[in-house]
Amino acid sequence: MSSTDYSAFSHAELIQRLQALEQAAASDPTRSERARLEQDLLATVKELRDVKAALDEHSIVAITDPAGRITYINDKFCAISQYSRAELIGQDHRIINSRHHSKEFFRDLWSTIGRGQVWHGEIKNRAKDGSYYWVETTIFPFVGAGGKPIQYVAIRTDITKRKADEAAMQHIAAELAEKNKELEAIVYTVSHDLRSPLVNVQGFGKQLQRACETIRTATAAVGEGGAVPVASLKQPVEVAIPQALRFINAGVSKMEALLAGLLRYSRLGRIALTIRPLNMNGMIAEILAAMKFQLDEARAEVDVAPLPICAADSVQTNQVFANLLDNALKYRDATRLLRISIRGTVRDGQAIYEVADNGVGISPEHQAKVFEIFHRLNPDTTSGEGLGLTIAQRVLERQKGRIWVESRPGVGSVFFVTLPAVEAPAERA
Amino acid sequence: MTQTQMPTILIVEDDEGHAILIRENLEAAGVPYPMQHFRDGQAVLDFFAARPPQPSSTYIVLLDIRMPKVDGIEVLRRMKADPAFKMIPVIMLTTTDDVREVQRCHQIGCSGYIQKPVDYDKFAESIRRIGLFVPLLLVPQVGAS
Repeated sequence: MSSTDYSAFSHAELIQRLQALEQAAASDPTRSERARLEQDLLATVKELRDVKAALDEHSIVAITDPAGRITYINDKFCAISQYSRAELIGQDHRIINSRHHSKEFFRDLWSTIGRGQVWHGEIKNRAKDGSYYWVETTIFPFVGAGGKPIQYVAIRTDITKRKADEAAMQHIAAELAEKNKELEAIVYTVSHDLRSPLVNVQGFGKQLQRACETIRTATAAVGEGGAVPVASLKQPVEVAIPQALRFINAGVSKMEALLAGLLRYSRLGRIALTIRPLNMNGMIAEILAAMKFQLDEARAEVDVAPLPICAADSVQTNQVFANLLDNALKYRDATRLLRISIRGTVRDGQAIYEVADNGVGISPEHQAKVFEIFHRLNPDTTSGEGLGLTIAQRVLERQKGRIWVESRPGVGSVFFVTLPAVEAPAERA
Repeated sequence: MTQTQMPTILIVEDDEGHAILIRENLEAAGVPYPMQHFRDGQAVLDFFAARPPQPSSTYIVLLDIRMPKVDGIEVLRRMKADPAFKMIPVIMLTTTDDVREVQRCHQIGCSGYIQKPVDYDKFAESIRRIGLFVPLLLVPQVGAS
């Protein structure tokens, strides 16, 4: 209590002071002061209530005691965790533990807030029905008079969708990286395969030049009567020039075929697919009918089992199976009659088709290569541009399908094709 | 003095045009050695399997890398793994200059690596040089005189 030293006041100041005290006494000072304080308090409480309402509207809020037992939760907490308030109060947060995070993760969390510091982080939790949700979390310790936390307020935001998007993006990035690697391999193969005929065009172009030189030299040495000695023209005209032209023309055709194939391959990605249930037995019958002449000529025996229905684009899928059957014909073993068997099953929602032959087979080191662009097993004895299986693989990938081969040289090959299965029978047009 | 023996050049090349160009250009550049053409890797491996080299027979192998069936790298690997053939010089022929491929061939032990289309004058010169040096490789190691 301090007492005022009135001796320092001037006369006028003393009168003023006195008047003020008289007025205050007249209007009951204790009552008016309390009323003002009460009003202030009410305003503050209202403001806090509004802030809390806004917080509850936006965030998932929980308050725990120093031991981590839940003492308060808001409606959003109940909604996202699917637990009722009664189920949560008194529990600790282990009830929603997803087991995604390590022990160190929670040890760090507790040691941070135990020191009275704020903790920020992303936590994966498990709801009552076993589903998972992610929350961005801020835990704020309320520190008591003794410097120790007396309670913790945890404010969380649902980031489950963001986390799912992040995972999806990572998946897409990995897929893109894979595609890039594939593309790199294709560019490598194509550049090599294009250079090969180019070497011939260049090399035999020089041979042509040389032949022209020989002819020029011969014609320069014209004899008396203007006659050119035939002997010196024989080699360039009859051997060198025709040979050079033959290889130049073959090289140019080869390059043209490669570029046409490459264009065909690049267009595959832009073709619009019409995915609908496919009656595979009907499709195989159509393909076999179209190949009847070649199959009869080879005296091939084809056995088709009842096939499951799949969801795919009919034109593209037809191409895949026509290619597999064409390959079976092309790579048949001349020492025995060709037998082709086509069967299928459904496993884990996938229709799995097998096209098996008793042809020449593929050695283990070549089995992966058969899907490489422009790779050909027997360029000397079979025709083709080395694109069939590359295109089949691409076409199937676009339809969520796969293709692979199992083969034994001298015994035969089995090509496996998977496509999404359809339970209901296919519509028959 | 060792007797100077003409080496035989074995051209292993699946592209007929490339093989003709190599042969004709080496001949035009004055390489005097006999040449023999193999259409793929298996053919040259069969050739070696059928006749183990005599001390007097010498070869230089010109090996294309990309061939169907057994490719050039596989032929090189098998030759260098076989004590009977590992001394035979092998020059790789390829249409690309892929660094990893070059390194791989050198690791396995090729004597040279040439990218097509080749500069035939330089190519012939190096063939001639290897040719002079080849007879020394397969001479049986007898005591120095």
